[in-house]
Amino acid sequence: MTFLRQLAKSAGFGSVVGVGVMLIAFTLIDFSGWWTARTLSNVIHFTSILGLIAIGQALVIISKEIDLSVGSVYGLAGIAFITLEPSLGVPGSMAAALAIAALCGLAQGILVVWGGLPSMIVTLGGLFTFRGVIYVWTGGSVRNFSTDAREHWLTRLFGGEFLGFENALLWMLLMLAVLSVVLKLTRFGNHLLATGGSAESAESRGVRIDRVKIATFVICSLMAGFAGIITLADRPQTHVTIGDLLELEAISAAVIGGCLLSGGRGSLIGAVLGAFIVTSFRYELIALGAPSSWFITFVGIVLIVAVIFNQKLARWAGHNV
Amino acid sequence: MPDAKPLIQVKNLNLYFGNFHALKNVSVDFHAGELVGLVGDNGAGKTTLIRVLCGIHKPTDGEVYFDGKLVKEFHPKLAIDQGIETIQQSVGLCDNLSIARNFYLGREPVRKVLGIPLLDFAKMRGEATKVIRAFGLRDNVSADDEVERLSGGERQSVKIGRAVEFKNRVVIMDEPTNHLSVREREHVNELALQLRNQGLLVIYITHDIFQVHKLADRIVIMENGEKIEDASTDKMSAEALEEVIRQGGRVVEKMES
Amino acid sequence: MSLAALKPIIRKHSEIGIFLVAVFLVLFFVATSEGRWNNAYNISTILQVTATLGLMTLGVALVIGTGEIDISVGSTFGMAALIYLFLAVRVDPAMAAFAAVAAGAAIGAFNGLLVTRTGTPSLIVTLGSLMIFRGLAIALTSGFAFSVPYKDRGALSYFILGGDNLFRIGTFPGVNTGFLWLIAGLVILSIALKLMPFGNHLLAAGGSAASAHSRGVRVDRVKLRAFIICGVLAGLAGVLEAGKLGSADGSMGRMMELQATASCVLGGCLLAGGRISLVGALMGTFVLSSIQSYLVVRAIPPQWFIVLLGLIVVLAALGDRKLRQWALKR
Repeated sequence: MTFLRQLAKSAGFGSVVGVGVMLIAFTLIDFSGWWTARTLSNVIHFTSILGLIAIGQALVIISKEIDLSVGSVYGLAGIAFITLEPSLGVPGSMAAALAIAALCGLAQGILVVWGGLPSMIVTLGGLFTFRGVIYVWTGGSVRNFSTDAREHWLTRLFGGEFLGFENALLWMLLMLAVLSVVLKLTRFGNHLLATGGSAESAESRGVRIDRVKIATFVICSLMAGFAGIITLADRPQTHVTIGDLLELEAISAAVIGGCLLSGGRGSLIGAVLGAFIVTSFRYELIALGAPSSWFITFVGIVLIVAVIFNQKLARWAGHNV
Repeated sequence: MPDAKPLIQVKNLNLYFGNFHALKNVSVDFHAGELVGLVGDNGAGKTTLIRVLCGIHKPTDGEVYFDGKLVKEFHPKLAIDQGIETIQQSVGLCDNLSIARNFYLGREPVRKVLGIPLLDFAKMRGEATKVIRAFGLRDNVSADDEVERLSGGERQSVKIGRAVEFKNRVVIMDEPTNHLSVREREHVNELALQLRNQGLLVIYITHDIFQVHKLADRIVIMENGEKIEDASTDKMSAEALEEVIRQGGRVVEKMES
Repeated sequence: MSLAALKPIIRKHSEIGIFLVAVFLVLFFVATSEGRWNNAYNISTILQVTATLGLMTLGVALVIGTGEIDISVGSTFGMAALIYLFLAVRVDPAMAAFAAVAAGAAIGAFNGLLVTRTGTPSLIVTLGSLMIFRGLAIALTSGFAFSVPYKDRGALSYFILGGDNLFRIGTFPGVNTGFLWLIAGLVILSIALKLMPFGNHLLAAGGSAASAHSRGVRVDRVKLRAFIICGVLAGLAGVLEAGKLGSADGSMGRMMELQATASCVLGGCLLAGGRISLVGALMGTFVLSSIQSYLVVRAIPPQWFIVLLGLIVVLAALGDRKLRQWALKR
C-alpha cells in the first residue's frame, strides 16, 4: 500500500494513468487498426525520437525555464549531419552536428543566465534563428545520403536494428536511464532540482545556479540534436521543415509526463510516457482514417487536460503548486 | 573570553546599489566565541552587511578580512566553504526536496559506484535523522519527507542543525525567531547560545534589542547604513541601547562633541 | 544636453528604444536600397502589413500587461478569417465579420477562463489552443474553398472590412482600411489604459497580482477581459486580412503569434507584466514589417527574415534590459 501511495504521489503518475486509459480506449474503439505491427513499430520509432527530445525538455522545465527551440535544433543537427557528411565523413559530421547542437544550447543558456532574459524570449529567438539558418544554409533543398554513408557502421549503430528492436528505442532507453540516474542520484541532479524549486535557497547554499542552468540548456539541445541524428540515420530522406512544431509536441510530452512549469518537480519516465501518448494519438488518428491535421487539435486538447489533471494530482498529493 | 585577534574584520566598507549608499564606511570586528547582536530598524543596513559577509553582495570599496586574510572574491559558495553559515528568514530550504537532500544541498556527500560519483543517501539520511531527533521535530517526520511538510519552527531547526553539523566557524542568524511561537523562539535562542559555547562566532540579527540583550556578549547598532554603536552588554543596558536606536545615533554625536 | 539628461525620459517611456531602432533602420534602408525601399508603393505595403499584425499585437500587449501571455492569436486569426469568408458569401459580410470576431472573443474567453479558473500557466493553455484551432482550421479547409470572388466584393461592408486604396494621393497607392481600424484600436485602448480604471487595474494585476488583489481589484476578471480583448483583436485582424486577400487557407496566421510577441518585446513590454507600451509595440510591428520588405526589395532570400527575426528578438530584449539598467542608475 505504501508503495502504491508513493507511486500515486510521484510526478509521473498522471502519465501512467493516461497511458492506461489511452490503451484501453484504443483497444476498444479500434482493435484491428491499433494493434498492428506496422502501427506499433511506427509508434515505437517516433516515441523514441520524441522521447529523447522530451527528456531534455523535461530537465529544462524542472530548472524552471523553457526551451522553445528544440524543434529547430533537432532539424539543424539533422540537416548538418547529412549536409556535412560528404566533406567530413560519417563520424566527423556526427560530431559536428552534436557540437552545433551543444553550441545552440550554450548560447541560449548564457543569454538566459548572464543576459538576465526570460528563457521564453531567448528560445523563441532561437526557434527562428536556427530554423532560418537551416533555410539559408540549404537554400531550401537537402541532398540525400549516399549509399556508402547509409551502410557506414556508425549510421547503422544509430539507425539500424538490434535483436529485433530499433536502435532508436534502445538509445532512448539508455539516455532515459543515464539521465534519470543523473537527476535523482547525483550532485548535479540535486542542484538542478533545488534550482528549479527555489533558486534563491539553492544559491544561498552555494549552488552555482547559473552553471546549472547553462548545463541544462546544453543537455536539452544535445538531446534534440541527438534525436535529429537518429532520425536521419534511420530514414535519410528529408525536408528543410524537419522538426517544425516539434517543440510543441516535446513540451506537451514533458507536461503530460508530470513536469510542472513552476519548476522543481518532474519525471523523465513520465516525459517518455507523455511522448508515447502524443505519438499514439497521431497513429491512432491515421489508423482511424482521420485527416492528419486533427492530430494537432488532439495534442492541444490532451495538453490542456493533462496539465490540469497533473496540477490537481500534485495538489492532492499535498504539494504547493 | 574571546580571542584578541578578530575572526572577521570589516574595514571602511562602502556599498552602493546604483546611487543608493547602502553601507557607509562601516568598520567592525567579530571574534570567535562571541555572540554579537546586530540591531537596527528596518533598512538600517544590517541585512546588507551580513549579505556581504556571506558573499551575496560585493562591496564597492573597503576591506573584509577573514581569519587575518583579505577576502578577494565574494560568492556564497566561497563563504560556505570557509565555514560561514547564514540562516536567513525565508531562504535556505527548497520546498520540493526532502530534508536529507536539503540538509546537504551544495555539499552533497558522494560515493563512487563503478567510478560514478553518486549521492551517498545512507549518510545523508543518517545525519539528517539525527538532527531531526535532536532538534525536536515531530516524531512522524522522516528525513525523506519534503520540507513542504514542516512548520516554521521546524524549518529553522533544520537550518540551525545544518549549521551545527558542518563544524562551521561563523553562524549568522537573520531574524531567526520571526513567525515562531514563544516556545519555538526560546528553543532557537538556546541553540544560538549553544553554538557560542562551542566556540563559534554567532552574529544574531534582530530589531528586538530586549530579546538579544539577554543572549549577546556585544551589541552593534546600525542606522541608515552606518554603525552608530558598538558596546558590550555588561557596559550598556538594553534600555540605554534602545534610547540610542530611538535617537538614531544623535545621542552619540552629542556625547562626542 | 548631456546624455544623463535623457535618463528620466527613458525611465518613463519604455518605447524610446524601439523608436531609436526604427529611425536608425529607416535611415539605413533609405541609404542602401537606392529608392526601392522608400517609394510610395512599398511604404503603403509596409503599412498594410503593419495594420493586421499591429491589431493582433495590441491585444497581445494587453495580455502581457497582466503578466500572462497569449500565443494562440495566430490560430485565432486563421479561424476568424475562415469563418468570415465562409459566411460572407452565404449570409452577409457584416454579419460574417461579427460572427468571426465573436469567435475570436470566444477563443479568448476559453483561454482566459482556463487560466484564471484552474491556475494553469497561460503559456501552456494558449499553446494548447494554438494547436487545437490550427488543427481545426487545416481540417476545415481540406475540401472546402474559402474565397470571395473579386467581382462580388463591391458592397460597402467589404470596403470597410479591408478594402484597398484609401487616401490614394498621386503616386501613393493609399492604405488598406485595416489601417484605420488599427488607429481606432490604438486610440481606444490607449484611452482605456491611461485614463480609465481598467488600465490601472490591468497594470496592477501584472505588476503585483497580490497587491492588486488586496486593494480589491478582481485580478481574475481583469485577466479574463484582457484575453477576450486579445481574441477580439486577433479575430478582427483575421477578418481584415481575409477581406483584403479574398481567400484563405488553413495555415493562415501561422507564426504570427511569434511575430506579435516579438513586436511587444521590441516595443518595450515587460514579459513579467505591469509595464507595456501600445505605441512601442506598434513601432515594433512596423520595424518587423519594414525589415521583411527590405529583404524583398533587395532580393535577399526571404529565409533570412526568419534568422533576422530570431536575432532581433533576442537583441531587442537584451538592449531593452541594458538601456533600462542604464536609465535606472542615477
